Amino acid sequence: MAAVEVRGLRKSYGKTTALDDVSFEVADGEFFCLLGPSGAGKTTTLKTLAGLVEPDAGEVLIDQTPSNDVEPTHRGLAMCFESYALYPQLDVYGNLASPLRSPLFRLPASEVDAKVRAVAGMLGIDGLLERPVTRLSNGQRQRVALGRVLVRPARAYLLDEPLAHLDAKIRASMRAELKTISRDAGTTTVYVTHDYVEALSLADRIGVIRDGRILQSGTPEEVWARPVDAFVAQAFGKPRMTLIEGGLTEDGFVSGDGVLRVPVPAVSAAPGDAVQIGVRPRDLRLRLGAEEPGAGWTAVDGRVYVLEHLGRATEVTVAVGDARLSVVAPRAAVAGLAADDRVSLLIRPSTVHVFATGDEGKRVST
Amino acid sequence: MSTEHAGPEVRRKSRIAGTAANAALIVYFLFSLLPIVFIIALSLKADRDQTTTYLWFAPTLDNYRTVLGLDGGGSSYVRFFLASLTTSVGAVLVSLVIGVPAAYAAARYRFKGSDNLMFTLLSFRFAPELLVIIPLAVIYRQLGLYDTAVGMIWVLQLVTMPLVVWILRSFFADFPVELEEAALLDGYSRRRAFVKVVLPLVRPGIAAVCLLAFIFAWNNFIFPFTLTSSSAQTVTVSSLAYLGGNQVRFNLVAAGAVMAALPPLVLALFIQRYLVRGLSFGAVKG
Repeated sequence: MAAVEVRGLRKSYGKTTALDDVSFEVADGEFFCLLGPSGAGKTTTLKTLAGLVEPDAGEVLIDQTPSNDVEPTHRGLAMCFESYALYPQLDVYGNLASPLRSPLFRLPASEVDAKVRAVAGMLGIDGLLERPVTRLSNGQRQRVALGRVLVRPARAYLLDEPLAHLDAKIRASMRAELKTISRDAGTTTVYVTHDYVEALSLADRIGVIRDGRILQSGTPEEVWARPVDAFVAQAFGKPRMTLIEGGLTEDGFVSGDGVLRVPVPAVSAAPGDAVQIGVRPRDLRLRLGAEEPGAGWTAVDGRVYVLEHLGRATEVTVAVGDARLSVVAPRAAVAGLAADDRVSLLIRPSTVHVFATGDEGKRVST
Repeated sequence: MSTEHAGPEVRRKSRIAGTAANAALIVYFLFSLLPIVFIIALSLKADRDQTTTYLWFAPTLDNYRTVLGLDGGGSSYVRFFLASLTTSVGAVLVSLVIGVPAAYAAARYRFKGSDNLMFTLLSFRFAPELLVIIPLAVIYRQLGLYDTAVGMIWVLQLVTMPLVVWILRSFFADFPVELEEAALLDGYSRRRAFVKVVLPLVRPGIAAVCLLAFIFAWNNFIFPFTLTSSSAQTVTVSSLAYLGGNQVRFNLVAAGAVMAALPPLVLALFIQRYLVRGLSFGAVKG
């Protein structure tokens, strides 16, 4: 086990920049998630760590040792590829045994056998050991690929979307499984995903990456509670955070058309500045009846724009002037509601995030 | 295609079309077999029948005896045959030893001048051999390569190498690079990853390209014709001897040609099971 770190990684392919100054540190035994949309540079970062991609600039450190010139074979990292990269000429057993039989480990056959069977049992593929990998479903292939990583000792695990191709049910149970494995083994892990739920539930720390740049890294709590910009804010949560453009006044935020007015927490911007606010749909409440807003809550009046039933809960989009605010309410509470009905929303200023305008507007609330 | 909802009329029509297509294929098949039938028949004909095209005659194996020198006539056919085998196999081996790594490098790495190098290699194929044959003959005489096995291998390798490199390059290019990367991380060195992961999977391609290269080398006529005289002469050229002089012996040429067709045929049968997979490799990835 070892700490891994990258400093100032840059990589471009022709005119496309894949990595643009990527730096992060993963402590020994830490579970680090790299979260971002496709094409953000997640896989390139992982392959650079593994030594499969040579960076144009920047440094890879494993165990505090600069390792740019170390061959992939000797970095002691195990990687699970998004494409699985299973050897098609071998069966499941042969694939799982491959690292243990390599010149690097060269374990005796009995030991190989014990380890392969143990990891296959853990991943629920022990019935498939004799099966050629070409005759597996995608979910089974993915588990074999994961098994080939877990079966061997490694200084760190690099996992590239290891749950992406599993169906929803297996994904949830595998996520729990992975969490247990990583906690028990305590192996340093760099985990690439585009799924914020995976990142929030598995990671000790999360790095949000976009266009080859790390926008923010921090604990799940940090990136959730204090996103550094509007993009990171919208990357977490479903329904995603509502963003509304407007400006600052002496006593809060006012939307572009002047209809929506909400108090905001302390900000580093001055009154008159154009900003946008972000509110998570689950931080809002729908005022029911003549209920008095409690201390710290502000009421905002609007009309129901659209109702979407999500099983037990309902997502209500409320129009306040030109602004559209989403709120998630219990289904029973909105039973009598229809489009265009007058409603009011309760907002707590402490849950309002203020950003500069733009797609990646920086956080200005302090 | 489904004919489930088609009426009996449509179904009958498609059946007629299918039968017609099959009949056409059989006709074409017989047509393309004709030269082979003809040359085998010719090889079994006595001298008096050799200029007729009839397939009714008294077959004799005399031609084969003469060509193989079993009648004490002192034929050198066997020697030429062995020379053909040596030079063709030699050329294929040289092309494989150099061509496989070259094709791999050309597919995996882009280096300075890699495109030019590949194009140069290809250009060996589109220059007509006749164009280079005179300077080549002069050079060969001066270097002492004229009429030697080494000289023949060297020149046939010019025919087979581009074939090997260009065909195998597309095999390697289609090969998912992540398989090799996985092997590297599993603890195999680059060379071992190549041997363990890549080679077994491109074996069908190598088999196919071997056969093609062998056929090209074996059938080459112009190089052995101009660059050898006796000791390294090949079967393709040696047949000419029966056409010169005061008597033209088509039946002996035919007997020689039939036997000369055997090695590529045997090789093709031998690697047949790889061949179909090899030629359709790109379609069955993963």
